Amino acid sequence: MSRFIVRRLLSIIPTLFIVVTLSFFLIRLAPGGPFSREKKLPPEVLQNIMRKYHMDEPLLNQYFRYIGDVLRFDLGPSFRNKDHSVNELIGKAFPVSLHLGSMALAVALFLGLSVGVISALNQNKWPDYSAMSVAVLGISIPLFVIGPLLMLLFALRLKWLPTSGWISSRAGWATVILPTMTLMFPYFAYIARLSRGSIIEVVRSDYIRTARAKGLKESVVIWKHVLKGALLPVVTYLGPAFSGIVVGSVVVEQIFVVPGIGRIFVQSALNRDYTVIMGDVIVYSIILMGANFLVDVLYSMLDPRIAYK
Amino acid sequence: MPLLSKNKAEAVNEFNQYVKPVSLWADAWKRLKKNKMAVVGMWIVGLYLAVTFGAAFLPFYSYTDQELLHANLPPSTRPAGRVAVERLESRRGELLVAMQASNREDLKRDLDRVNEDLDRVRFELDRDPVHKRVYLLGTDYLGRDMLARTVYGGQISLLIGIVGTITAGLIGIVLGAIGGYAGGWADNLLSRFVDIMYSLPYMLVVIIIMSMFKDSSNATVLGIPLNIIILFFAIALVSWLTMSRIVRGQIISLKNSEFVEAARSMGAGPGRIVFRHLLPNTVGIIIVYSTLQFPSFIMNESFLSFLGLGVSAPYASWGTLVSEGVQGMQLYPWRLVVPATAMTIFLFAMNFLGDGLRDALDPQSKNRS
Repeated sequence: MSRFIVRRLLSIIPTLFIVVTLSFFLIRLAPGGPFSREKKLPPEVLQNIMRKYHMDEPLLNQYFRYIGDVLRFDLGPSFRNKDHSVNELIGKAFPVSLHLGSMALAVALFLGLSVGVISALNQNKWPDYSAMSVAVLGISIPLFVIGPLLMLLFALRLKWLPTSGWISSRAGWATVILPTMTLMFPYFAYIARLSRGSIIEVVRSDYIRTARAKGLKESVVIWKHVLKGALLPVVTYLGPAFSGIVVGSVVVEQIFVVPGIGRIFVQSALNRDYTVIMGDVIVYSIILMGANFLVDVLYSMLDPRIAYK
Repeated sequence: MPLLSKNKAEAVNEFNQYVKPVSLWADAWKRLKKNKMAVVGMWIVGLYLAVTFGAAFLPFYSYTDQELLHANLPPSTRPAGRVAVERLESRRGELLVAMQASNREDLKRDLDRVNEDLDRVRFELDRDPVHKRVYLLGTDYLGRDMLARTVYGGQISLLIGIVGTITAGLIGIVLGAIGGYAGGWADNLLSRFVDIMYSLPYMLVVIIIMSMFKDSSNATVLGIPLNIIILFFAIALVSWLTMSRIVRGQIISLKNSEFVEAARSMGAGPGRIVFRHLLPNTVGIIIVYSTLQFPSFIMNESFLSFLGLGVSAPYASWGTLVSEGVQGMQLYPWRLVVPATAMTIFLFAMNFLGDGLRDALDPQSKNRS
């Protein structure tokens, strides 16, 4: 097990390296740069700026310089946002995104599992039908449609919730509700469907019949025996769900003007702020790969049949 | 003698009764037809395909014609001129009330403009056939018909879905089949490559690619804007991974079965075995997976268009329309609701159809979601 963990952790490094290299050259390859503006800068000024950021050196030199900096945990200065380093920008935005994402995942898991259990125990009755219709709706509607529609309904028409911003703004904690609801919806829907399916299957299995035959209380059967067996597919789905939430937060942060790394990412991609894009990509890759790693470990703990070599 | 031999005349069971041979497809079709939601989904998908790709032959207004006097008209079954006059009159009423409270200069200018427009529309009302138009689903901020925009936007969205599915399918099937059948170092190489690609934060890479080529949007290749082509590639580039894994798994599980042995003993080469014997046996799962993947292409494209990184003007996709609609949604909600609903209904139908196909073609996977 521990050997598996070590090997799995080590395999993250080459992938991360590939991501960094790929994005680095992809970004430099494209026409235009961070300093190409509507109004052309005088050539001498441009020259000076280029020299300051080492952009006048050959591409390979720049690449190795960047890799060296990254290994020292220095993501460099922002090209567009002159007063801030990339570390500062991401350091400020990351907790916001982490907060939003983990809350969305937690709500999706809690609601999804509850709805899944209720549906499965009332199979083919009205709670099942209505819950599963909502679930299919959740899977079919893209985030950027749910988000604006929720905003239109709850913020603009009913005026119950603020349209945008984050906790530090005047509206306070109420700002959290709409982005979280939007972001969790598709994953809630998928988890509900998944857990319903696997619970229905597990309930029919022999060991559940045995548990009931022993005379266990129904609540004990459900909580101790059914759920444990039915949780596996949900755990497998946590990896994809997590990466979906990470990517989805890019759009949700854009819609609700949440000051997280997703918003920074889109802005810097549009502005060609090279170092900020690179920093964001690195942070995102580490999160995604770390999450997949955790899911693998969790999976092997839940299902002893899966032995890792 | 086999119980059911291939010759139709001899298709009898052990009681010597004639039985109609049932192929996999007929069987699957029967199962699909029983699933009401899947049938409804199939009809809706068919309708969408017919309307969007037949749009040129249907009486839609142009999706590019701007009629500024008709900007932001609500959905209505009455002629546009009348709706515009009514709206201008109510606006004039509002302005007159506002001017009683204060005599700001800008209010006066607004009133003049409204009066001018009103006179123009009234004058043209019976002369210009444009005002006889009926905007069933309203208009956008440039006075373009939302119905036509949604239909033509759907054309681009569906096209991206279709092209993406085909490209991803072809690459995935070929590489998956090669890896699965050849085994050894080729399989190892392909599998490692797929593994690495899987762990890339793919949507982020696509965002970077699209934002880098955003400015070159007016360049065209063969009349198609460059950025749409790049979008196709960017999306198809990574989406073949799952398909190749699925095909590889299927081929590996089939390649040691008796019918392959039989084919090989009759002298069939690897190409013939893969394309004539192995792949036809995986068609079911390929179709199922493609149907399930199709909506995700549309979603991905719209996701990029929503961020302003996908299809750009004068072309529009559902994603572009939704993001345009978001901008004025408080005053003109139909601009958001119309494309959003059109898109949701389609994705809904596609999901039901995909689930139905999976249950029909792959009955073992029933109840797994």
